[in-house]
Amino acid sequence: MATAAETTPKWSRRRALTWRRVGRGAVPYGLIFPVVAALGAILAYPIYSLVRLSFQKYGLFELINHHGVGVGLHNFGSVLHDSVFWHTLVRTIVFTVANVGLTMLIGTSLALLLVRVSAWVRILVTAGLVLVWSMPQVVAVQVWIWLTNSQNGVVNYVLTQLHLGDYIEHNWYVTPFSQLAMVTTLIVWGALPFVAITIYAALSQVPAELIEAAEIDGARSWNVFRDVTMPVIRPVLLILTSLSILWDFGVFTQPYLLIGQGHIVPSNYLMGIYLFEQGYVKTDFGRGAAISILMLAIIAVMSVFYVRKMVRLGDVQ
Amino acid sequence: MRARVFVAAMLAAALGVVAATASASSGRAQANKLTVWLQVDAQNGWPDIVAAATQQFQQQNPGWTVDVQYQQWTDHLQKFDATIAGSDTPDVIEMGNTEMTKYMAAGAFSDLTGSKSKFENSGTWLAGLAKSGMYGGKVYGVPYYAGSRVITYRTDLFKKAGVTKPPTSLAQFQADLVKVGAQQKGVKGFSPLYVGGEDWYTALSFVFDYGGSIATTHAGKWVGTLNSPQSVAGLTAFKNFFDATQSKATATLDGSAPFPYTVFSQGLTAANYGPAWYTCCTGAKYKASTAQFVMPSHTPGKAMPGFLGGSDLAVPAQSNSKAQAIQWLADFTSTANERALEVKGNIPNATNLLGDSVNERAAARSWFIPQAKHWVDVENGNILKTMLSQILTGQLSVKQAATVASQNIAQTLNES
Repeated sequence: MATAAETTPKWSRRRALTWRRVGRGAVPYGLIFPVVAALGAILAYPIYSLVRLSFQKYGLFELINHHGVGVGLHNFGSVLHDSVFWHTLVRTIVFTVANVGLTMLIGTSLALLLVRVSAWVRILVTAGLVLVWSMPQVVAVQVWIWLTNSQNGVVNYVLTQLHLGDYIEHNWYVTPFSQLAMVTTLIVWGALPFVAITIYAALSQVPAELIEAAEIDGARSWNVFRDVTMPVIRPVLLILTSLSILWDFGVFTQPYLLIGQGHIVPSNYLMGIYLFEQGYVKTDFGRGAAISILMLAIIAVMSVFYVRKMVRLGDVQ
Repeated sequence: MRARVFVAAMLAAALGVVAATASASSGRAQANKLTVWLQVDAQNGWPDIVAAATQQFQQQNPGWTVDVQYQQWTDHLQKFDATIAGSDTPDVIEMGNTEMTKYMAAGAFSDLTGSKSKFENSGTWLAGLAKSGMYGGKVYGVPYYAGSRVITYRTDLFKKAGVTKPPTSLAQFQADLVKVGAQQKGVKGFSPLYVGGEDWYTALSFVFDYGGSIATTHAGKWVGTLNSPQSVAGLTAFKNFFDATQSKATATLDGSAPFPYTVFSQGLTAANYGPAWYTCCTGAKYKASTAQFVMPSHTPGKAMPGFLGGSDLAVPAQSNSKAQAIQWLADFTSTANERALEVKGNIPNATNLLGDSVNERAAARSWFIPQAKHWVDVENGNILKTMLSQILTGQLSVKQAATVASQNIAQTLNES
């Protein structure tokens, strides 16, 4: 069977197709243009600048003259030979694991709780979570400082009144461990709402009849959770975990403000603070740039595992 | 293909517009405006003197406005760095005398040597303060004011404890404070003398009193000396003094949280060791019973060397209004204004203006930080604070903590 197209002269068919093709071809470009332009403006140039900076000596002198001096890989070498960098890296990884672990554990527990409680309690808890979520970080830090103030903090007062020990003038920020533990309480507290509400939403996607069937078959609640609920909410858990890792690994505001500039020392550095101290406080922007690129690489490596898992999950579904 | 070229051209044009607007917005907003950065001390203590200088300046320069922006000590250098990067620096900046060297060495300030004669009393500037504003034989900083450290105390509480005369030795002072403490035993959280344990200005006064020091140069390199026998003796004396006069929680607090005078105004201490202007803020309730004396040395009859703090004023190299900046500086540091600063409890910037106040008597014996390019990194790295909290909480012995700090200081000062 001959089609109409085959009967038309060859030249006109090609021309018509070319124009149509250009027209059609331009649409995706046009659609993607705003995104490319925005990303180019806010990401590409800064990243190019950052990479260039990391290969330069760029201190106060260079800052004043607006001109850096190329030093090749020197900045990377000096960072990788700095024992403070390696100690900070290990400390930050432990810190991240603890924070993400606690966030996910408590967040999941809260979400499971939300499923089981009555509507009124659920509304109250959700409202509480949203309030936590809406609190700006800097304000939250200030509230934490008030609560744990050694001279007249509420925490010390309440613990003493409850006869849990003598906490009058107890200082919660004496050792690096206790300082970072206090930072952990603040970060986990602040991260819970997002995690709990998102997991709660995911839990509502678990078909009730599946759970019912499993229970009729005699499965215990832990087994129901592991074999029925988990597979359904796993993609959400993976996304939340990887996002939490990104946030907690590079955290700056909470530790810097809660520990306080006057008490930031190498033994309580996290990566974000190490970067700030080396780059800004010591006015060595080249070295700071090298550190941020190394951080980027480390986060990329840490994310690979999750990204691969996600891709696999996508394939299965 | 043509479509792709078109898209690329659009993209380039858009980026060009973004770049052009970005560079346009960083330009100077107003031509006849002088931007002055002063520290919060001026805002709290002597805004009237600042206003007087600005008024005088505006009479000499009709049509000019002066925008005084007050800065915090903790972050003003980072903010200044950011303005350097954007070529939008203030025209006048106040710098702590310990912060000057790094910036002078990098060329951040204008050379004021040729304008020195425009500043009143510049021939008799306080030697220590003038030196902190000089680098390579050139003048970059105009001395603003200095301050030594004195004891501010509650006369009523001392009298109650049977102490009627200011002590003449450290041992006597410590014994007096113990008496005051015993008298106030019932007051929860009371310290006979309140000082944050990490207030290194206080601790190092003991070090210098015992003949110690922070660092010296040897064969062109810095060597830390906080672990010398004299320094360790001074730090040990500080620990003893601290343990005898403090409520337990203050070992890991520094000099600013809370401010010592706040503790004073709350009635929770009988004495502070700090700048003479602390009298500003000891509370209306205690105004009548607040007095000062010079901190006694462990050598009877002498004063303990106090940290000679102070500020310089500089004109950033990128300022577009240098002549006006110098004019404002001359107005601000005039004889009249320096005398007014003295009344507020500061030490004026020239020897011919010095009086006989307790502050000025205390300045007779003073100490200063090593004048090294990287000293500011020692301060910002909290090396001294860490050492003091280790000593006072008993984490390390005096000798151990001082040795660690000494090594860190030498390493920081010797960085290229």
